[in-house]
Amino acid sequence: MTAYASSRVRDTIFQILAARKLAPAGEHDPLFSSGLLDSLAATEVLIQLETDYGVDLSDEDFDISRIDTLHALEQMIIAQPGMRPG
Amino acid sequence: MTENYNITNGFLRSAMQMPEQLFYSDAGATLTYGDMAGLATRLAAHLTAGARPQRVGILGTRSVEAYAGVLAAGMAGAAYVPLNLKWPEQRIIELLGVLGLDALVVDANGAALLTDAVRAAAPALIVVADAAAPLAARPGQHVCRFAEIDAQPLKQPAVVGPDDLAYIIFTSGTTGTPKGVMISAGSLASYLGQSRLWTQLTPDDRLAETCDLTFDLSVHNLFLAADAGASLHILTPLDMLAPARFLRTHDITVWMSVPTLAATMRKAGALKPGIFPHLRLSIFCGEPLPAALARAWADATVGGRVENIYGPTEGTVICLRQTLTEPPLVTGDRGILAIGVPYDTMTVAILDDRQQPVPDGQPGEIALSGPQLAQGYLNASPDQDARFCILDGQRWYLTGDLGMRDANGVFHHLGRTDNQVKVKGNRIELEEVEAHLRRACDSDGVAVVAWPLLDGVPQGLVGFCTSARTPQQISDALLTTLPRYMVPAPIHIVDTLPVNINGKVDRRALVDGLARTPATPAPGPRLEHATETNT
Repeated sequence: MTAYASSRVRDTIFQILAARKLAPAGEHDPLFSSGLLDSLAATEVLIQLETDYGVDLSDEDFDISRIDTLHALEQMIIAQPGMRPG
Repeated sequence: MTENYNITNGFLRSAMQMPEQLFYSDAGATLTYGDMAGLATRLAAHLTAGARPQRVGILGTRSVEAYAGVLAAGMAGAAYVPLNLKWPEQRIIELLGVLGLDALVVDANGAALLTDAVRAAAPALIVVADAAAPLAARPGQHVCRFAEIDAQPLKQPAVVGPDDLAYIIFTSGTTGTPKGVMISAGSLASYLGQSRLWTQLTPDDRLAETCDLTFDLSVHNLFLAADAGASLHILTPLDMLAPARFLRTHDITVWMSVPTLAATMRKAGALKPGIFPHLRLSIFCGEPLPAALARAWADATVGGRVENIYGPTEGTVICLRQTLTEPPLVTGDRGILAIGVPYDTMTVAILDDRQQPVPDGQPGEIALSGPQLAQGYLNASPDQDARFCILDGQRWYLTGDLGMRDANGVFHHLGRTDNQVKVKGNRIELEEVEAHLRRACDSDGVAVVAWPLLDGVPQGLVGFCTSARTPQQISDALLTTLPRYMVPAPIHIVDTLPVNINGKVDRRALVDGLARTPATPAPGPRLEHATETNT
């Protein structure tokens, strides 16, 4: 098993997908821009990024496209100050 | 010589004068005026191959194909009819059955909705995005890709009269059945003429498009931008959750959205002073605009103007406007901006329930009259038709909105007539309670619904808000400004309020959430924590 820095937000996304009877997403599958998940799911992800990972949503240059794939989420979280895989 | 009211005249003039100018950009594509004119004139010729089409459906939004479809329909002299991608299949099939479309233009997302059953109900002529999966046609149906169109570009836009239809846009009826509002080319021309006066777009303007084509604010952006040679920048649904970056990286000069979008940014702390230096004009519409929010938005610009506009789809986009001033012109103690004064071409009246004008300062139903009035609803029921009526020989539309004209002739919005509820004999305006709740919870994100219902009769109020305060604190604060019967109980603190496709707070979804969880302490969608009553 790979240890993902983004493991908790991954769990959330897989739970949302499962709850909507959707297959688990691949690393590079667009989650939101493809219409697979809606804005309510995106909001849930954003809230978790803020509360669990300290992502600063008040940053006026926050790039929302970085939540669109599992890969981009992982990259964003690794880049967070004070984050290490686990 | 008779005037041609073709709705694409402005676009075609701009395309002729400045073909290299940017017209359209979305996450995946950038088109100049020349690019889009090439695409749309070929599509228009394809749609006209048999005869001039009357109605062209657009099964798509926020895409090159959808915008090309709108412009091509207009060039061909047809009304365009945006179909909502979020409608269930059965609803789309029903509408295709009654719309009598001559053709359907479908983007990649729309193509996913073209099931066998939908195709069976669809018109004989279908044009789909090149990126869509392969489709089978039913017998007698011609399906082609944009890239396969071999028609020569349409040379001249079709001659359109003022009474020909420009578009049909569906509004969500309070009863839950969408109503197709039919707007003529003459109404649209009148609207654009009045709207140019205060938007004053130039080729340097870069407009953000936050709305789907099914929301008529998109009419405002598309036709005013095309007329001026300005560019449209389409947000993805994802961009709308954190739009600051989009505004900044696209150097947006003109913004228009529902206030909830701004409230979301403000709540996240992203609405900081001066972060939108290029933004000169910001327009809010579709919901009450809290003055504090309008000010925070104005502060995020550098000397940019903020406008609050009001109007129903039945009156062609909007017909009243109020500029944010200092101090702001607010509506009583609601803390929301006034809706201002009507367009010079439109008459606005406040009527009592016998359709008689009420004196200034008295509340009543907002009624509109003038050249922007819709021709009516598609296949209307008598009930729906009754919203359009003749009073003293003049045609009026009764909005169902409560309003008031003050002594200075400025109009104020006081809520919906149908959001007025009676709880245990007390008449309550939900918007009024929301205004108090907004202050008590120190947040723009609030909603109040009448709940529970007993035989359809409201028994109480339930409040929802995004707030750092506890329900008890909020409740205590409310009790200082409202009678107890108007204080919602319980008050739920939520992470986010459900919004409809256009970003407005969706009260119906809140009620549905409450209905799904009877007598449990966790009603409503996505509660951070269940809450106590204020007793």
